[in-house]
Amino acid sequence: MKLYVYCVAEKIDPPAEPASGISGARADVLDLEGFSLLVSEFAGDTIPVTRDNVMAHAAVVRSILNETTPLPLRFGTVSDEQRLRSYLASHRQALEAQLAHVRGCVEMGVKIIWNTDQPDVDSSSDGPGARFLKEKQLRTGRAREVGAWLHEQLRPLLKDEQVSLAPTEKLIIAAAHLVDRDAIGKYRDQLAEARKLRQELHFLVSGPWPPYSFSNIDLEFKTRFGVS
Amino acid sequence: MSFDIEQLDQADLSLLETLDHVLNRGLVIAGEITISVADIDLVFLGLNVLLSSVETAHEVLRKRE
Repeated sequence: MKLYVYCVAEKIDPPAEPASGISGARADVLDLEGFSLLVSEFAGDTIPVTRDNVMAHAAVVRSILNETTPLPLRFGTVSDEQRLRSYLASHRQALEAQLAHVRGCVEMGVKIIWNTDQPDVDSSSDGPGARFLKEKQLRTGRAREVGAWLHEQLRPLLKDEQVSLAPTEKLIIAAAHLVDRDAIGKYRDQLAEARKLRQELHFLVSGPWPPYSFSNIDLEFKTRFGVS
Repeated sequence: MSFDIEQLDQADLSLLETLDHVLNRGLVIAGEITISVADIDLVFLGLNVLLSSVETAHEVLRKRE
């Protein structure tokens, strides 16, 4: 039997009322190898990316967030009990370490946009190649400065962070912060104070989320060893 | 083109952030993800460019109007 998998968590009791998952299927707790997974029975071959399905995935993961901090799986994960058992057994140490790392925490998101219509750099006399390089250099330098500033503003409240510098032309920072649940109020207050200091920046703040950005143990492994 | 972030309301932002988190992040069990868009099967990585940037999302929203 195929299973659609939403998340992996430390052992939990089944909720009194199961959440509604992909295509309206019931999301049940499946206990395997000492972990609890939220899964739905799944009959198809592919998962359509629809708004309803994406929101259902998010809602199921969120449904146990008050009880525990799960590791969300990426949308579209379909497996079966035997393969899941094998995966959990072979990755037990990394999964347990990551669950311990996120325990009691949630993810907060901060995206920062450079909020000005002024030209980035005076490059009117340059050719297109030189202009591109100058602008890229300026964006990267600006992103580094803002990233360091943001980290310093929030540092005491961050258990972990994932930061992308200048991922797009206008977006100079995309950060995910792992924050203790009890510190969310302080985090918001601190961020509100910090925003007052940088009027040229536009902040998009979201959360609390389950720790989507702190769940990928393969990514953690690669990052640790400097392989991208 | 000037980028007006104010055109994105909170509901749009919540939806975009949910898309970004659910589709672009999370634990990956290699080789077990198959999704489809408009009946076309895709491996997930093909979607990153479409769904991971605020600017691109803004473009999508603007065209939708």
